[in-house]
Amino acid sequence: MSSGTDFSRRNRRTATTAFVVVAGMVGLTFAFVPLYTLICQVTGLGGTPQVAERNETDVSTQEITVRFDANVDRSLPWDFAPNEASVTINLGAEYLTSYRSTNLSDEAVTGISTFNVTPLKAAQYFTKIECFCFTEQTLEPGQSVDMPVTFYIDPAILEDELANEVQTITLSYTFYRTLDDIPDEEPEIISEADQVITTAQVGSF
Amino acid sequence: MSTTATHAHDDDHNHAPKGISRWLNSTNHKDIGTMYLVFSVVAALVGGGLSLLIRIELGEPGIQVFDVIGEMMGSEAKQFYNVTVTAHALLMVFFVVMPALIGGFGNWFVPMMIGAPDMAFPRMNNISFWLMPPALILLILSGVMGQGAGTGWTLYPPLSGLAGQPDMSVDFAILSLHLAGASSILGATNFITTILNMRAPGMTMHKAPLFVWATLITAVLLLLAMPVLAGALTMLLTDRNFGTAFFDPRGGGDPLLWQHLFWFFGHPEVYIMILPAFGIVSHIVSTFSRKPVFGYLGMAYAMASIGIVGFVVWAHHMYTVGMGVNYRAYFVAVTMAIAVPTGIKIFSWIATMWGGSISFKTPMMWAIGFIFLFTVGGVTGVVLANAGMDIAMHDTYYVVAHFHYVLSLGAIFAIFAGFYYWFDKMTGKVYPEWAGQLHFWTTFIGVNVLFFPQHFLGLAGMPRRYIDYPDIFAEWNMVSTWGAYLTMTSTVFFLIVTLIVMIAGRKSVANPWGDGATTLEWTVASPAPFHTFEDTPDFTGGNPAAHPAE
Repeated sequence: MSSGTDFSRRNRRTATTAFVVVAGMVGLTFAFVPLYTLICQVTGLGGTPQVAERNETDVSTQEITVRFDANVDRSLPWDFAPNEASVTINLGAEYLTSYRSTNLSDEAVTGISTFNVTPLKAAQYFTKIECFCFTEQTLEPGQSVDMPVTFYIDPAILEDELANEVQTITLSYTFYRTLDDIPDEEPEIISEADQVITTAQVGSF
Repeated sequence: MSTTATHAHDDDHNHAPKGISRWLNSTNHKDIGTMYLVFSVVAALVGGGLSLLIRIELGEPGIQVFDVIGEMMGSEAKQFYNVTVTAHALLMVFFVVMPALIGGFGNWFVPMMIGAPDMAFPRMNNISFWLMPPALILLILSGVMGQGAGTGWTLYPPLSGLAGQPDMSVDFAILSLHLAGASSILGATNFITTILNMRAPGMTMHKAPLFVWATLITAVLLLLAMPVLAGALTMLLTDRNFGTAFFDPRGGGDPLLWQHLFWFFGHPEVYIMILPAFGIVSHIVSTFSRKPVFGYLGMAYAMASIGIVGFVVWAHHMYTVGMGVNYRAYFVAVTMAIAVPTGIKIFSWIATMWGGSISFKTPMMWAIGFIFLFTVGGVTGVVLANAGMDIAMHDTYYVVAHFHYVLSLGAIFAIFAGFYYWFDKMTGKVYPEWAGQLHFWTTFIGVNVLFFPQHFLGLAGMPRRYIDYPDIFAEWNMVSTWGAYLTMTSTVFFLIVTLIVMIAGRKSVANPWGDGATTLEWTVASPAPFHTFEDTPDFTGGNPAAHPAE
C-alpha cells in the first residue's frame, strides 16, 4: 500500500493548497474594505475628490463654475443647504464657501456626510484643503452653524484631454445621522425628517 | 484519510451498502452524484413552480394571484412577488444548476472519465452533499418567515440591510448561501485534487476529456470566487446584526462596496454555471458526429481563458452606479474580449459537426439546441456589454431575456443533454427516443415563446422586478406566459416518462452510442457498477476506450 500512502499524501497537499487559497481569498475580501476607500481616494473613483494640505498650484486665467448641492438623509433632523448656489473661479485659485446646517430637533444630533463631485472624471482635479465632511459634526438643539469648505481646482485638468472640456463641476454632500447616534426608537423623528428633506433639497438640482 | 476508499471493500464489485445508510453515509461518487441530481430535480420543481407563479402573475396587467398568495403567506402582494423572484433566482443558481452540473454529473463522470476509483476525499464528498439540504431548508425559510427576503439574488444593501428588510428573512437567506458556499468550496477542493492527482497513468492533462477540463476550471473559479461571496455575506450579516457599517454610509461604509464584492463573485459564478455545460456539449457533439472534438486544445484553453478573464469584468453589471468613462471603457473592452474564446468554442462545435456522420439522437438535439440558444444569449450579451447600450437597457426585460437564454436555456439544455446522454449509464435503462425528441421539441418551442418576446419588452422599456406593468406591454407578456405553460407541460411529461422508464425501461448496453463515444465511462457496464476502475486503466499506449478507425 505504499503507493496508496503516496497518493493520499499528494492529495492532502493539494487539498491544503486549495484551503490556503480559500483562506487567502477571504482575507483579501476583508482587506478590500480599506483598500477600496484608498483606491477611491487615490484615483478619484466614483467622483472622490482629492485632499491636500495646501494649494501649491499656479492660478490660471481659465475659469470654471462650481455648483454646490446638499442632501439630507431622512434619519437626520437637520436643515442643510449651501450658502451660495454656485461660484465661478479661476483654476488653481483657492476658494472658501460654506454650507449652513440647522438642527431642527430638540436634542443634540451628530451627523456625518458623504461627498462626491460630478462629472466623475473631474474628481481627481478637485482638491479640498479643509472640509466639514472630514469629521463628524454635532449640533445642539436648534443650533445653526456655517460649515466651511476650502478647495481649488487643479489647473492640470487642462492637460487631461478627457477632462479639459469640463465647464461646470458639481460638489455634492449627503448628510446622515451617524450610526452611533441613532436612537433605538425613532418613529416621530422619521416623520419630522420627512419634512426636513423638502427644505434641504432647495438649492440642489 | 490514510487510504483511499478503493480497497475498503472486498473484490465483490457490486457490493453496495443497503438501506438508508447507503445514502446518509455514502462515500461513493456515483451515489453522491445521484443524490445531487435528485436534489437538483427537487429544487427545480420548487424553483420552476415559483417561475410559473411569476409568469401567471405577469400574464396580464394588474395583480392576479399574488394578492391571494401574499395574504396566505402573511405578507403583502408586491413584497411577496419580490420574495418569489428572489427565491426563484437563488434556487435556480445555487440549488438546481450548480448541483446538477457540478455535484451531479461532475461526481458521476469525472472519476470515471479519468479512470479513478472514486473522488480523492470520499467522506468530504459526503459532507459537501449533505450541507445542501439544510441550505435549501434555510432558503425556503427565508421566503416564508416574516416578510420574506425580497432582495433579488444580488442582495444589494440598503434593501438587504436593516433599513430595507429588518426581519429575520434576509438572515436566513445569508446563512443558506453560506452553507451552499461551504458545500461548493469543499466540492471544488475535492474535484481539483481528484483531477490533478488521480488521472490514469498516461492521461496527461492534455489528454484529459473536455468535461474533466471544464470541471477543473469550474472548481478553480469556485475556489477563488466563493470565499469572496462568503466574506461579503459575513459583512452583510454583521451589518444587520452586530452594528458594523461595511455598507452603511451612516457609519462610514459604502453600499457600492457590496456591489463590487458581489459581482467579483457573481460574474465568475455565471461561468461556474456554464463551463461544465461546455464540457458536456463537447462530448455529445463529438459522440454523435463520430469525430473527435475539433481543436481539442483550443477548446480546453478557451475555457481556461474565459475563466481567467471572467474575474476582471465584474463592473459591467454596475455601469449605472456612476462610473467614470475610462472605467466603463475598460470594462466594455474586456467584456467583449470574452466573446473571442466563446466564439472559438461555438466554431469548434460547428467544425466538429462539419463533415461528421451526424445522428440526431435526443442528446445531440439538446446539445445543438444549447449551441443555438447560447449563441442567441451570447449575442445579446455583447449588446449589453456596451456601457452606452446597457445604461438604456439596465434592469429591463432585455437583460432578463439575455441571462435566461444563456442560463435557463443554455445551462438547463446542457443538463438535459447530459441527462439523456448518460441516462443509460446511470440507470441501465434505455430512454425511448420518441419521448426524448418530443420533450426536446416542446421545451425548445416553449422556452423560445417564453423568453424571446422579453427582448421586445425590454427594448420597449419594461423594467424587471415589478409585479405590474402598463397595458402597452400586455400582448407580449401574454405570449411569454403561454410559453411558460408549454414549457411546464413539457417538463411534467418529461418527469412522468422518466419515472416510467426508470421502473419499466428496456435494459441498455455498456455503450449505446457506438464508435463516437470514446471516454472511459463507456467501457464499463450500464448501469455503472458500484465500484469502477479498481484496476486503473492504462493510457500510456493511447486511449483504451477509443474504437479502431473503420
